[in-house]
Amino acid sequence: MSFQYGVQQERDWNALSNDEFRQIIRHEFEAHYPSHLRYPPRRLRWHENKDWYLRMAAKGWIAPNWPVEYGGMGLSPAKLLIFYEECERWGIARFQDHGILMLGPLLIKWGTEEQRRRYLPKILSCEEIWCQGYSEPDAGSDLASLKTTAVLEGDEFVITGQKIWTTLAQDATHMFLLARTDPHVKKQQGISFLLLDLNQKGVTIRPIRDIAGHEEFCEVFLDGARTHVSNLVGGLNNGWTVAKSLLGFERIHIGSPKMPEYGLTILENVARACGAWDDPVFRDKYAFLKLDVAHLADAYNHYAGIVIRGEPLGSDVSYLKIWATETFQRIADLIVETAGPFAAIRGPVKIGNSEIDILATFYKARPPTIYGGTNEIQRNIIAQQVLNLPRR
Amino acid sequence: MNEGNETLALLRETVARTVPFDGDRIRRVRGQTPDFDRSVWRRMAEQGWFSILIPEEDGGLGLGLEAAATVAEQLGMSCAPEPFVMAGVLVPALLARMTDRQMRNEQLPPLLAGDRIVSFAWQSPNGSLNPVDTEIRATKLSDGISLSGRCRFVTPADPDAFILLARSPEGLLLASVPRELVAAHRVLESGPDGVFTAQLTLSGLRLPRSAILMEGEDVGLVVGDALNCAVIAQSAELCGLMQRAFSMTLDYLRTRHQFGVPIGSFQALQHRCVDLFIQQELARHATAAAIRAAGQGVTGRKLALAASSAKARAAYAATLITTQAIQLHGAIGFTDEYDLGLYVNRTARLAASLGNAAWHRRRYADLSEGA
Repeated sequence: MSFQYGVQQERDWNALSNDEFRQIIRHEFEAHYPSHLRYPPRRLRWHENKDWYLRMAAKGWIAPNWPVEYGGMGLSPAKLLIFYEECERWGIARFQDHGILMLGPLLIKWGTEEQRRRYLPKILSCEEIWCQGYSEPDAGSDLASLKTTAVLEGDEFVITGQKIWTTLAQDATHMFLLARTDPHVKKQQGISFLLLDLNQKGVTIRPIRDIAGHEEFCEVFLDGARTHVSNLVGGLNNGWTVAKSLLGFERIHIGSPKMPEYGLTILENVARACGAWDDPVFRDKYAFLKLDVAHLADAYNHYAGIVIRGEPLGSDVSYLKIWATETFQRIADLIVETAGPFAAIRGPVKIGNSEIDILATFYKARPPTIYGGTNEIQRNIIAQQVLNLPRR
Repeated sequence: MNEGNETLALLRETVARTVPFDGDRIRRVRGQTPDFDRSVWRRMAEQGWFSILIPEEDGGLGLGLEAAATVAEQLGMSCAPEPFVMAGVLVPALLARMTDRQMRNEQLPPLLAGDRIVSFAWQSPNGSLNPVDTEIRATKLSDGISLSGRCRFVTPADPDAFILLARSPEGLLLASVPRELVAAHRVLESGPDGVFTAQLTLSGLRLPRSAILMEGEDVGLVVGDALNCAVIAQSAELCGLMQRAFSMTLDYLRTRHQFGVPIGSFQALQHRCVDLFIQQELARHATAAAIRAAGQGVTGRKLALAASSAKARAAYAATLITTQAIQLHGAIGFTDEYDLGLYVNRTARLAASLGNAAWHRRRYADLSEGA
């Protein structure tokens, strides 16, 4: 392949031993990641962490999950797991990375050569930042009932509708979205996957302020927004299949034990600062949660092993998401309980010699049980597809 | 690794064939003496299951804890009353760690052949799981020792011999005691599954020097490691029990109709089942992780951590699943006639013996601090 998607990889990462690879990644993170951006209490905006990600782009490390021929690091599953583990270990804040995590792999699987050459290089260089336009006001858990329409006029789709809960759309230049292209068939069969430039007059982006006081997601109004027919991915009315075709780590990442492990560290800090660490009632609750996290890690390692061996994952993997996110919530709730009156103060609180943002974890723990398919939807899926319980 | 997996799959099949679930058999032997089936025990011996943890140079199979746990898990699925973990894992694990080779050569052959069933009597009447808390006192005499004190929760309750853990002024020791010598000092207590435990009260029981199997500072470590291996195997047995109880419940929800539909189609019940499924899977993976740790040869504190991690989850999950299984079945689940109750009762015993979930959670927390 002569086309150059991104910068050349400096070496064949998979030829290194796991330990050597981990040391290289860890050294880069520890030496260069800005310490004031570690474990931020909210999602950072592009202007806050772009220096870091432009550095990653220049090094060729922006897309560890993409094949080398498309400008990624081409990491084997085992190495990719290490890369993510090191990111989480060092508390590296994500940017609006849907282009890297979702769109890139989908274009590599479903896109045309022309689409790949047009879009992948600018995802890699961070010139174009992508957001995901799936949810709508009346299409949340029942995503397939989405109403946004895309009507072909000449060689352009004209898109009309409203997207919501669009993470960091205010930082994005483009959106990949699902829109209805055939209203007359079964709802999943009339949906197409489209790419859209947000910089046009038919697009209005309005940030939504959340209860933590942050603006991490948006409403996106599409009023006759236009995109060329060449921006249809995976064929007309095939969007549901395209959107559902996530593989490997994208499916288990949300069930990683790192978030609750980090929560336990904060819980310990709070308990020590508040004098609860040696209280037997606290210790019993802490032990319970510590084992909940330890066993999540045991289960996660089992599924990571399946991905690493290149074997297919079953629907049962969804329970990792349920357990990881609900365990994180229980930890967050115990942080609040343990902090007593300090939990009535927003932002970093001075307790003795420590300064801890008590409510940051409380707020951070709420969205994960809702996004990526609510935990209730995950339970429906497991009940019917894994436990073979009858549908209504 | 593939070869190992095949061996285990074969072993699993053999266990299912040799000791299948048999509700009539379980109901027949419960509350009797013996409270299990000696002929089944001999068949288990013929398969070599008591030799699994014994190194090959001592005449064993040297297969390790993973194989022993596989047998235990499958016996859990069959809800077998045979005391495999107590007499087929714990005691061999203990004897395999004896430093005196001649002692091993004398003790092991009849045990591995299934001709001689040995119980380990170690637990203090107050239920402490710490070997140093044993209340049996040993006094050295010119020609042997004298044992006094009480010990409880001894399983199997009616063996051919006991190994007693005792404390002498010099430290812990293990002594072999034939059943005749303690028969008169034994009180049986019945468990929820109709299996007994024994309480032994000794006052000045005299034994020759040759009865001492091991003494010295290693005894505490040896006993601790053997108990932790048994706890891991017991966690696997609990996994087997909960898996069967859960699959019986799912079958019931698929077939039981009310309001004109299978009750398993109700979302409230489906979601509860998913929560039970999560606990079952966590128990499976926590136990597998403990088995892996043991397979890597960890001992002492690290083995204790692995064992407590597994048992804390397995006991919690099995208790939750079996009790919820009663609720999901409705009244039929509370009858003795329906097989679910056998699983509930066996789980109740295993969850409470060798440390319950709360005890293992505490030990896990204490041991992991500063790790």
